Amino acid sequence: MSNESTNRRPDTGRIVTLVVLTVAAFLWLVPMLWVLAMSLKPNEVLMHTTAGLLPVPFTLDNFIQIFDTAKVTRWFLNSVGVAVLMTSITLVLSSLGGYALARIPFRGARFMLIFIIAGLTVPEQAVFIPLDTMFASWHMNNTIIALVTPRLAVPFGVFLMMQFFKAVPKELEEAAILDNASRLTIFFKVMLPLARPALTTLGIFTFLYSWNDYLWPLVSATQENHYTITTGLASLQGNFAQSEGLGFLMATAVFASAPVLIVYLIFQRYIVRGIAMSSGK
Amino acid sequence: MTDLTLRRVIKRYGDEQVVHGIDLDIREREFVVFVGPSGCGKSTLLRMIAGLEPISGGDVHIGDTRVNDVPAGKRGVAMVFQNYALYPHMTVRENMSFGLRNVNTPKTEIRQRVDEAAAILRIEPLLERRPKDMSGGQRQRVAIGRAIVRKPKVFLFDEPLSNLDAKLRVQMRIELARLHRQLKATMIYVTHDQVEAMTLADRMVVLRDGRIEQSGPPADLYESPCNLFVAGFLGSPSMNFLPATVTDHDADGVWVDLAAGGRLHVPRDGSGLSPGETVTVGLRPEHVRPADEGTLAGSLEVVEHLGDQTLLHIRLGEDSVVIARDEGRSAHTAGENIQLAFSGSTCHLFDGDGNACPILSRDAAIT
Amino acid sequence: MAIDKSSNRSAHATAETTPRRQRISPDTVSGYAFLAPFLIVYAVFLIYPLFRGFYLSLHQWDLLAGPLGWVGLQNYSDMLSDPAFWNALTNTFYFVVLTVPITTALALALALALSRPTRTNAVFRAIFFSSSIVSVTVVTLIWQMVLSPSQGILAQALGTVGIPPLDWLNDQHLAMLALVIATVWWSLGLPLMLFTAGLQQIPGDLYEAAKLDNASRWTTFRYITWPALHRTTVLVVLIEIILHFQVFGQPFLMTKGGPAGSTRSLVQYIYENGFRDWHLGYASTGAMVLFVVMLVASLTQLYFSRKED
Repeated sequence: MSNESTNRRPDTGRIVTLVVLTVAAFLWLVPMLWVLAMSLKPNEVLMHTTAGLLPVPFTLDNFIQIFDTAKVTRWFLNSVGVAVLMTSITLVLSSLGGYALARIPFRGARFMLIFIIAGLTVPEQAVFIPLDTMFASWHMNNTIIALVTPRLAVPFGVFLMMQFFKAVPKELEEAAILDNASRLTIFFKVMLPLARPALTTLGIFTFLYSWNDYLWPLVSATQENHYTITTGLASLQGNFAQSEGLGFLMATAVFASAPVLIVYLIFQRYIVRGIAMSSGK
Repeated sequence: MTDLTLRRVIKRYGDEQVVHGIDLDIREREFVVFVGPSGCGKSTLLRMIAGLEPISGGDVHIGDTRVNDVPAGKRGVAMVFQNYALYPHMTVRENMSFGLRNVNTPKTEIRQRVDEAAAILRIEPLLERRPKDMSGGQRQRVAIGRAIVRKPKVFLFDEPLSNLDAKLRVQMRIELARLHRQLKATMIYVTHDQVEAMTLADRMVVLRDGRIEQSGPPADLYESPCNLFVAGFLGSPSMNFLPATVTDHDADGVWVDLAAGGRLHVPRDGSGLSPGETVTVGLRPEHVRPADEGTLAGSLEVVEHLGDQTLLHIRLGEDSVVIARDEGRSAHTAGENIQLAFSGSTCHLFDGDGNACPILSRDAAIT
Repeated sequence: MAIDKSSNRSAHATAETTPRRQRISPDTVSGYAFLAPFLIVYAVFLIYPLFRGFYLSLHQWDLLAGPLGWVGLQNYSDMLSDPAFWNALTNTFYFVVLTVPITTALALALALALSRPTRTNAVFRAIFFSSSIVSVTVVTLIWQMVLSPSQGILAQALGTVGIPPLDWLNDQHLAMLALVIATVWWSLGLPLMLFTAGLQQIPGDLYEAAKLDNASRWTTFRYITWPALHRTTVLVVLIEIILHFQVFGQPFLMTKGGPAGSTRSLVQYIYENGFRDWHLGYASTGAMVLFVVMLVASLTQLYFSRKED
């Protein structure tokens, strides 16, 4: 910063831009900060006024109330279960499939690639009704399996891993072939360790998607104790429209967002890289 | 016993044939270099020997075994790649032991063999490092070490020095020559760099368009290239080619008229030539000297001082330039007119098809 | 001995004439083995449902009672004469037409303003992206609160300068705008990052050359940055069309599609036909229409993203 200003005169255009950006960024954050502030205020105060971005008077009662409310913790754990299962299985399926498409010259590979890429054009919204009837006929709605499996079929992960494996130098695999490594050894000992950054990216994307998904859990998990935190929070919104539970509602929203925000803070650069990667470099 | 044999080896990609029936015998402990311009098939040939490319036709034998259908790992060959191809997530020791671990070699033996190879290459201090923390030269040493550890029957090198800077390349070249002596192993080496080929090879195989043009010891190829391609490919700066017309030939050689002027007697077997035929005279730069009175005359266009020698580019005509080599720092300057002297006995002669006319041997003269 | 010889010869023959055509190569076996786990899930939970959805759309099908009979294209012709369908489709288009240009322009402007690779700019980008991380439920909750005329922070802020509160979500003219505002806030992050990635790929020496040619800022943008971003822009617009055409949570949770159906989206129409009115066959018909629109947009996107490879 100081380096730059000694070299050239501070340029007014840049200062104006900086000020505008700072104000915009602050305004951008205001809704979230405000919700956070409300979640830390007593309900009685909120009934009187919701104004103010600072949590005065301060209380943790709303959060304590969450842990006393069995269903919210239940939803949270449901979401954790779905996210963990969906993420881990997606990583396995995508790395195996992506590797095959990128590196194994099998007969019909080209057709398979087209067949799988075609699936990228099918939105969740176009298949949620038949999926619901399928799980209904298997009596599997309101199970974790029903919540997890449809998303596993989305080819995004396979596609992402294929892009990654394609970029690994071919010679590395040839060296391993000459080193007497079998396909499985090559995959597990050479390719997979190299794919850690790509797997992290895909894992984060899948986790975020799973945590935030709304339509399918809404359709498939109709019993309250099978809600995810995302559908659960939506169900609270109707019931808590009156301001008596406002602090609690806001605390639930903060609680529901905490995992994704933490993941975002820790893995921000993977998300940025992943977006660049999935847009075709 | 021959260690490696290629018989009518063919490579096709779809309908396109890129290697056309290569026959080659490589003796045990021989250092053979495949050399040629890019796209000549040298790497493809190496990769077929390695087992990384399926062989479309013909046979490859290593020792007494036909290896066409033997998987790469079981052929007893090791390969060193241009880009090193070290496993980035493994330490040097892990890189070198990977191949042995895959065939369940006992731990103590792995350790011993890795230590041995590391000693040969003087990379012991690097053993616990990872590839990303090493220089290009160090990485290539490790890649060679990984090959040595496996005690292969045949070492394959695919342009191993191309990614290194000029100085390091010279160093590694000497190192490789030393290794070949020390390991007493068969080595096949692919390069497009003729200096590497000339210095390393026991035998050089010059390839073009998927065919062997000529093979033999480097000095032989340099001194008697069998055709215009090999003649032009070997030597830097490359051989000067002067168009000429045959006027006569006798038992002592061929008389030609150079298109650039002057008459010349070349002591080559011209029995296949007839007067009036167009031929090419080949003349290495080191055999052309500036002189007060010479066969050719032209204007000196460019003077390149290289320290120990000077290259003179002399324009003879519209599209004919001759490069001559002068020892040390030449006194000549660009722009002056210059006379060039050379002896017919140092000249090569190529017929209309580009094939060399053989040197007149005493035997040939007698029969 | 004889067996040995003949098998030897046949192996030879396959190698010479038709290399690995007859037998199944180990690569083919391992290729399908690696692909199989995904392929099975993919076929059962994506490809099959797609065809099953079409099958459903040709039936009268009740959520609980199941199939009530084949109706052919009846559902399709019903839908074409259903004013609620046209209303939902129009609303969705209207929503897309408002959201996509605003998001794109804002994302491009921000990406340009934050293009220099400094720490401060990275922090700014992180802030503008952070709102994309939360779920639609949280976003709609936040904006319902912000826009609330009685409790909302917007009304409070405007109140201090004497502007009376607006009842955004219950006003037929403002409701859609409110959804657009919430959506832009929620979805700006992705196009911002895509534009940023696009900008980083423009070689720096182009700008240095422009500087040496005394190009002004505007000239530089007009002749270097903008042409280089052409492909990114097309991609961003298409991705956003695909994304926002499927809008559901925002109207469903913020306005319930109201007031007077003025914000009901196509997906909400599908959802309500299926799971409120139990007409799965009819709902599937809507899903098929959605799929076709999405297919066209996706194919255009694929076309543009592969064009320069």
